Amino acid sequence: MPCLIALIVFGIMGIFSASHRALAKEAFDCIFRRVTFRPCNTGFQDKIKGKILSKIINRSTFLAKMGNKHYEVLSWIFFILMVGSTLWVLRGGYNFYVYGSCNGLNESGFCAFDPKGENNKTTAVGDSTCGITQNEVKSVALNGVDLSDFPMRKTESENTVIFIGCYDCDYSRKAYPDIQRLVEKKQANYIFAHYPAKGDTTYLGEAGYAVREIYGDDAFWKLNDYLFTADENYILDKANLNTILASFNLDVKKVNDLANSAEAQTAVENQIKELNKTNLYGTPTIFINGKPFVGPKPYRVYNSAINRFIFF
Amino acid sequence: MLNVNKIRADFKILNKKDGAIPVYLDSACMSLKPNSVVEAMNDYYFNFPACAGRSAHRLGDKATKKVKEAREFVAKFINAKSEDEIIFTRNTTEGINLLANSLGFVKGDVVLISDKEHNSNLVPWLLLRDKVGIVVKIIPSNTDGTFNLDNFSKLINGAKLVSIVHTSNLDGVTNPAKEIIKIAHKNGVLVCLDAAQSIPHRKIDVQDLDVDFLAFSGHKMLGPTGTGVFYGKSELLEKLSPFLVGGDTVEFSTYDSYKMLEVPEKFEAGLQNYAGIIGLGEAVKYLSQFDFNDIREHELKLNTYITEELKKILNIKIIGPENPADRSGIVNFYMEGTDMHKFVIMLDEMADIEIRSGQHCVHSWFADKKIYNSARVSLYLYNTIEEAEAFITNLKKIIEIL
Repeated sequence: MPCLIALIVFGIMGIFSASHRALAKEAFDCIFRRVTFRPCNTGFQDKIKGKILSKIINRSTFLAKMGNKHYEVLSWIFFILMVGSTLWVLRGGYNFYVYGSCNGLNESGFCAFDPKGENNKTTAVGDSTCGITQNEVKSVALNGVDLSDFPMRKTESENTVIFIGCYDCDYSRKAYPDIQRLVEKKQANYIFAHYPAKGDTTYLGEAGYAVREIYGDDAFWKLNDYLFTADENYILDKANLNTILASFNLDVKKVNDLANSAEAQTAVENQIKELNKTNLYGTPTIFINGKPFVGPKPYRVYNSAINRFIFF
Repeated sequence: MLNVNKIRADFKILNKKDGAIPVYLDSACMSLKPNSVVEAMNDYYFNFPACAGRSAHRLGDKATKKVKEAREFVAKFINAKSEDEIIFTRNTTEGINLLANSLGFVKGDVVLISDKEHNSNLVPWLLLRDKVGIVVKIIPSNTDGTFNLDNFSKLINGAKLVSIVHTSNLDGVTNPAKEIIKIAHKNGVLVCLDAAQSIPHRKIDVQDLDVDFLAFSGHKMLGPTGTGVFYGKSELLEKLSPFLVGGDTVEFSTYDSYKMLEVPEKFEAGLQNYAGIIGLGEAVKYLSQFDFNDIREHELKLNTYITEELKKILNIKIIGPENPADRSGIVNFYMEGTDMHKFVIMLDEMADIEIRSGQHCVHSWFADKKIYNSARVSLYLYNTIEEAEAFITNLKKIIEIL
């Protein structure tokens, strides 16, 4: 049995190391001889046992003695631990590919593949803290949220992408191009919601509302695209808003009038109230077919969500 | 008395600057090589890598001269009457096979061997038994592994050849070659000695022994691998019919005839291992500077220490006589029910101590005694008492945990 364990262990280690590959071959030879009803004559077991005990004996005779006495049991324990940790690593790798985090969807625990947690960083709702925020992820959902008043691009697709972001949030700005690419590529239904998580950007939401009301969705999407892609400092300077509106050949006065009206303020407030019903805790929060992705994930994560790469 | 430190300075591996210096206790399998042997071989490859004995140019001449020199060194080393009695082979095994296939054995011929023969002096005779129908008789040793002359005397009558190990690689026992040869000759029987383990450790004088044939290897006597010597008395070699023929064994040939060269050339078919032969000559030259009594005294000192320490360890059994003086430089031991391979692996891993485990090519003896395997320490002139102590210390550690 230790030969079988050795074959699996060294087989895995052999992927990375030539010396372990040779040991794996030796272990295989040992098993092959056993299954063909011949004695394993390579001395493989003793070789491995000897090598291990030699390392221990120079440090502690007692430990070496114990190691020798309980060699088989210890082999099993280490084997099970290795299989367990291998499965754990595989699970982590799978999660990272599919969710952008080793620990699962929106989980912000340490991940060796993303040690700085870049894929989970958000601008926190409430205190505008930038970075990693760990909340009860499961509660972020679209249940009972009315999205009919938000800018929407409808297609024939069965896929729907909802992007909740803030113009002043670096992570929203990071995710934005990937979401646009995804929506474009998949021709998905798309809903955008501005959530002013950081800084005073409510006026941009109100301006957006006014543009949409006066000029329609196309004009809004152009402005929205600009606000997410242009220089952040420039668009966040309130004094530049009129220039921006003018650059899109919009009637600045008309837009400002509506944006500053009680109607716009109420509409934007109502939108935020609806968004709060999702229990979102940071921006960006992206729903793809109802599944929440908090933080700027790699494009493959969004793509996988639509492709249904995931099985569980 | 040997100056071991001075000797060790001649071996590069024992003066390594990088990495651990091995505690090499496996010289019965393979000896270390002094720098001069390696340099002599390099000299051939770098400066005159030509054919010896055939090419007339200067490089060929130099190679011929060096090979001749090596033959002379070897002849002098074993006190052969003539250098023509020295046939270069690849090893002891080839020498014995040469004899087995050249002496003209016919069905019913009897060959006597001991019960502790290396496969090289057992299998050729068993093969000949199966192919030709010779009779192989085994001379049982005493219980302590020493040679039983009475058993031998009872079997000698009617034999054609006694082919026997001189010093056993199993237990280090040196058989009383002179008495054996005397008895054999009295009965008109030829004697071949397997001197692979004796020649590195004791003076061999073929004339004094009056031995008919002698085979040994270069690699156990500080020489290169793939080298060996088969000695035969001139008059006997003349009568042998070579079994390997071809290049460099004939004076001339036509499409339907050939004329063999004289000995030793007629037995050295094909292009020879010139670098090896030159290296062997150098090894013989190196070894000749020592008094073999000093080598034996040194080995005995180390063997005595190891033997005494092993005796203190419960369950360890030493193969062969109790007295280390009867075991040359060999201490072969085992523990019943224990696979000795693990000792070898652990000693190597723990402290770079190299000993050998297994059945040491004497499977027949182990099968007969129903012993699984053993661990063998074999000493030589470059080993030190500190190395012997390191071996014992680490062995005790291993035994403590097993």
